[in-house]
Amino acid sequence: MKQKNIDNIIALSNDLRWQIGDEFHDNLAEGIYADAAEIVKGAVHKENGNKRLRLDAKIDKIVTSKVWGFPLMFLILAFVLWLTIIGANYPSAMLAELLLNTVHPALKSFASSVGMPWWLDGFLIDGVYLAVAWVIAVMLPPMAIFFPLFTLLEDFGYLPRIAFNLDHLFKLSGAHGKQALTMSMGFGCNAAGVVATRIIDSPRERLIAIITNNFSLCNGRWPTQILIATIFIGAVVPSSMSGIASLGAVIGVAVLGICFMFLTSWALSKTVLKGEVSTFNLELPPYRPPRFWKTIYTSIIDRTLIVLWRAIVFAAPAGAVIWLISNIHIGDLSIAAWMIDSFDGFAFLFGLNGVILVAYIVAIPANEIVIPTILMLTVLVTGISGGEGAGVMFELESASATGDILRAGGWTLLTAVNLMLFSLLHNPCSTTIYTIYKETKSTKWTVIASILPVIMGFVVTFLVAQIWRLFL
Amino acid sequence: MEVKPKSACESCAHFNEAGLKKLGVNTTAYDHVIALAGNPNTGKSTVFNALTGLRQHTGNWPGKTVTRAEGGFEYNKEKYKLVDLPGTYSLLSTSEDEEVARNFILFGRPTVTVIVVDASRLERNLNLVLQILEITDRAVLCLNLMDEAKRNKIEIDTRSLARDLGIPVVPTSARFNEGIPELIQTISEVASGAIVCRPHRIKNIPKNIENAVEELSEEIKKEYPDIPNSRWIAFRLLEGDQHIIELLKSGEFEEYIS
Amino acid sequence: MNTYNPLIALLIFLGLSLLGYLFFRPNRGWYWFIKNSSRATDKVIAEDILKRLYHNENASNFLNINDVVRTLKQDEQMVVESINKMTTLGLVKMEGDIVRLTKSGSDYALRIIRAHRLWERYLAEKTGFNKSEWHQRAERKEHELTMDDTNLLANTLGNPQFDPHGDPIPTISGKMAKLKGVPVSDLKVNTIGRIIHIKDKPDIIYKQILAENIHIGSIIRIVEKSSERIVFHSEGEAFKLAPIMAGNITVSVLEKDVAFEEDVLRLNILKENEMAKIIGISKELRGESRRRLLDLGFVKGAEVSIDLLNPLGEPKAYLIKGTSIALRNNQASKILIKK
Ligand SMILES: Nc1nc2c(ncn2[C@@H]2O[C@H](COP(=O)(O)OP(=O)(O)O)[C@@H](O)[C@H]2O)c(=O)[nH]1
Ligand SMILES: [Mg+2]
Repeated sequence: MKQKNIDNIIALSNDLRWQIGDEFHDNLAEGIYADAAEIVKGAVHKENGNKRLRLDAKIDKIVTSKVWGFPLMFLILAFVLWLTIIGANYPSAMLAELLLNTVHPALKSFASSVGMPWWLDGFLIDGVYLAVAWVIAVMLPPMAIFFPLFTLLEDFGYLPRIAFNLDHLFKLSGAHGKQALTMSMGFGCNAAGVVATRIIDSPRERLIAIITNNFSLCNGRWPTQILIATIFIGAVVPSSMSGIASLGAVIGVAVLGICFMFLTSWALSKTVLKGEVSTFNLELPPYRPPRFWKTIYTSIIDRTLIVLWRAIVFAAPAGAVIWLISNIHIGDLSIAAWMIDSFDGFAFLFGLNGVILVAYIVAIPANEIVIPTILMLTVLVTGISGGEGAGVMFELESASATGDILRAGGWTLLTAVNLMLFSLLHNPCSTTIYTIYKETKSTKWTVIASILPVIMGFVVTFLVAQIWRLFL
Repeated sequence: MEVKPKSACESCAHFNEAGLKKLGVNTTAYDHVIALAGNPNTGKSTVFNALTGLRQHTGNWPGKTVTRAEGGFEYNKEKYKLVDLPGTYSLLSTSEDEEVARNFILFGRPTVTVIVVDASRLERNLNLVLQILEITDRAVLCLNLMDEAKRNKIEIDTRSLARDLGIPVVPTSARFNEGIPELIQTISEVASGAIVCRPHRIKNIPKNIENAVEELSEEIKKEYPDIPNSRWIAFRLLEGDQHIIELLKSGEFEEYIS
Repeated sequence: MNTYNPLIALLIFLGLSLLGYLFFRPNRGWYWFIKNSSRATDKVIAEDILKRLYHNENASNFLNINDVVRTLKQDEQMVVESINKMTTLGLVKMEGDIVRLTKSGSDYALRIIRAHRLWERYLAEKTGFNKSEWHQRAERKEHELTMDDTNLLANTLGNPQFDPHGDPIPTISGKMAKLKGVPVSDLKVNTIGRIIHIKDKPDIIYKQILAENIHIGSIIRIVEKSSERIVFHSEGEAFKLAPIMAGNITVSVLEKDVAFEEDVLRLNILKENEMAKIIGISKELRGESRRRLLDLGFVKGAEVSIDLLNPLGEPKAYLIKGTSIALRNNQASKILIKK
C-alpha cells in the first residue's frame, strides 16, 4: 500500500516535471533571489550603495594593475622562497646536528651497551631511525616557514588575486587560475599542493591540478638540485662564475618543471580529461587583516605537522628496506649490489646509473633521502673508503668531498644533468601518491598521476643522453 | 507569530556565563546537534571555534572546509554537538560540498541549524538562507561580520529581518567574540522550544511551478503527515534529484524523518 | 653493450614514437580504426538499419535494399544478410522491393533512438564534451546501452522530454512529445518564436549552425526575408542565414504580445563604470555551468558592473550583489544584459 503511494508520488513528480519543462531550475533560482531582494529592501540600509570599500578597491587596483600586478607577484613569491630556503638552513643544520650527529651515535652506543644484536641495532637505528631523522631534519624547517607565510597571504586575501591575474595563462592550457596557487604550494610540498586543489571547484581543472602538481619542484628535491648543480655544473665554468651557473641551473630546472606543467595540463585537457565537467568562477573576497599568531599556529598544525607525519610514516619502512637490501646477501653480493648490477645497463641508456635507479626505487617514500642513499650505495658498490657502513645513509659536510665520491662512482656531467632532470620528472613520493588517492578516490587517476611523470622522465633523460653522446 | 526577534541587549541579560563549557572535540553523549551552514567565507569556522574553543583552520578564501568538522560545548547543563558544514552558495545543484551540507541538514536531524551570513552581503547570502528555511523550521540567523558592515556603512534592521524570515537573528562579530553569548543563548532557546520559528517560504515562483509544488507537496504530506519540509521534497523531486527518489523508493526516507 | 650506438638508439626511439603516434593519434589513428571496424558487428548494423528505416518511414519515405546500402555506407553483403536475419526474427518484412518495419521492429528502433537521445542529453548536462562531439559519441553509445542502462540513465537525468537538439526523447512505452514547429525559412517578417529544434544532419550544415552560435530555447524575431537570405535577431545579435540553413532550424511561433528584448547585449562587452541589468543567461549554457552562475546571483533583474579589469584582459571581475566574481569572456558572453 505504502509502496504504491510512493510510486504514485514519483510518477506524479515525473508528470509534473514534464509539464513544467526545462525552466524549473532557472525559475526557482530567480524566485528565491526575488524574495531575497524584497526582504533586503525592507531591512537593509546602505549608505554607499553597492560599492565596495574604498581601501579594498584601491588595493585591488594596484595588485591587478598592468604595471604593478606582475612585478608585485613575483617579488612576493621570490621573497617567500628566499625566506624559506635561507631561513631553513640554520634550523635544518641544527636538527641534523642533533638528530644525526648526536642522537644517532648515542643510540648506537646505548644499543651496544645493552648488547643488542648487530642486525637489530642496524635495522632499527641505522635503517628506520636514520631515515625518519633525515626526513625531519630536511623537511620540517622549510615547511614550518613556507606554510605559515603562505597561509598569511591566504588569510589576507591576496591569493585569489594571483589566480585572477594569471588565469588567462592557465586557461590557454585548459587549466584553472587557482592552479597557480596549488602549484606554488607544491614548491613547498606536493602532498600539500594536492590537498590545496580543493579550492578548485571544477572537476576537470581540479584533476589537471592534481596530476600536474608533481612538476613543482618540492622542498625534498631542492637540496638535491642545489647539491648536484654546485658539484658538477659549477665546476664547468670559471670559479668566479660557478655560483651563478649552478643557481641558474637550479632555476632552469624549476622553470622547466613549470613548462612541463603547462604542456601536460594542455595535453590532459585535450585527451583523457576532455569529458570531465568544466566550470569557472573565482570569487575575490574582501581583504581582511590576518590574525598573525593564530594563523601561524593553525598552519603549523594543519599543514606542516600532518604532512610531516605522513612523510615519517612512509619513510620509516623505506629506511628499513634500504638497510635490509644492503645487508642481506645473496651469494657474496648484497641484494642492493645485485639490483645495481642488473640495472646498470638499462640505466646507461638514460645517462644514469644503477645506483640512481635503485635509490629512486627504494626512496619512493621521500625524496629527502635520495642523496644519502645514493652516497651510501656508491660507497657500497665501489668499495672506496668513506661512509658509515652498509645500509647506513650519510651525507658529507663539504660538497667537494661528496663530488669526489660520486666521481669515483663513475659520475660525469651527463649523469649529473640527467639526475637533475630525473629528480624533476619522476613519480611523486608515496605520501603524495597516497594523498592523490585520498583526494580523487580513483585508482585510475592515481595511476596516471604516478606513471606519467616517470615516463616523461625516461623519455627526456633518454633523449638528452643520446644527443649528448652524439655531439659531445 | 511567536518569534521573539531579539536585539543584542535583550538577550545579554539571559546569558549565563557560568553555564558555558567549551568541550573541544569531545562530543560524546550530547543532547542537541547544531549544524553550522552558510556561504563560503562568512566566518562559519570562526563561529565554530568561538563556540567550541577549537582551532579549525579559518581562511579568507572561499571554499576551505571540505569535509565537515565536529566539536562541542555545554551550556546550562545541556550538551551540544556542533557540526561545521562546507560553505555553499546554494543547495540546488549537485556539487560534492552541497551534497554534504544538504544531506546533513535534511537527514542529519540537527536540532538547530545556525545559518552564518555576511552582513555586508545579505542579499546574496539570503539565497541560501531561504533554501535552508524550506528544509528546516528550527534555525537561527547569525548575522556575522557586523564590524565590516559597520565600516561599509551598512545598517541592518534585525527586527524586521527576523520578522520577514521568521527566525531569530543574532548580530555577531565572531572574530572579536562579539555576540557569541547571545548566539549561544538563542541557540539554546530554539533547541528547547522556548522560541518557535515560523520560517519564510519562497513566494516569487511562477504560478505553474507553484501549483505543481503544491500538488506534489499535498501528496507527500498525505504519505508523511509529520514532515516539515514537504515543499522542499517537492522541489527536489521536480528537479529530479535521484538521491531523494532512491530514498523514497527504498523506504529509507521513513527512517530519516521519524 | 658493444652494439650500442647513440644514433641507432635515437633512431629506434623515433621510429617507435612515430609508430605510437600513427597508432593512437586522435581520430585518425590505426587504433581507433581497428576499434571502430571491429565495432561494426551484426548487432550494430542491424540496429542502424532499423533506425534508418524508422526515420524514413516517419517521413513517409520507403526504402529498398539498395537505398539502405547507400545511406548506411556499409558493405552490401552484410546489409543483405542482416535484413534476411531480421526478417526471420520478425523485425522487418519485405513488401516487394521495399523493406518495412514490423511493429516489433519499430519498437526496437524507438529503443535505440531513446538511448541515443538520452545519451546526448547526458553528454550535454553532465560532461564537458564539446557539442560538436555529442552526436558521434551517441551514435556509438546507443548500441552499448542495455534497456536497464537506458532506463537508469533516464531516471538520473530526471526523465527529460527533449535531447539537446530539441528532438523528443521516446518514453519507455515509446511515446514522444509532439513537436509543433515551423522552419525558420517559412516564417514571415516580424514573427517571434522560440527555437525548439536544430537538425543535426547533414553534418556540414549542422556545424555551420553551431558556428553561428544559434541554440535551442532562444527567442528570435525575423527582421528580413528574401530568397537569398533570412535575417533574424536573437539574444542581442543579428543572424543572417541562407534559406537551406534556416530550413534546418525549427521554431514554435509565440503570441504577438510576448515581450521580445531588442537591445540585448552580452556581459563581456560591458565597459568600466557602466551599469547593466541582467536579462537572463543564454540557453547555450547548460548543466553545471548554468546552475553555478544562477547560484552566484547572475539572475534576471540583478544589477551588474565591472569591478576589476585584468592585466591580461581576461577574466574580468564583475560586481554582482555586493561580491566581486571573476568570469572568463566566453562565460560572460552568455550572460545577456541591458544597459
Ligand atoms: N572582521 C571580521 N572578520 C571575520 C569575522 N568572522 C570571521 N572573520 C574572518 O573571515 C575569514 C573567513 O572566516 P572562516 O571562519 O574561515 O569562514 P568560513 O569559510 O565560513 O568557515 C577569516 O579570515 C576570518 O578571520 C568577523 O566577525 N569580523
Ligand atoms: Mg570554514
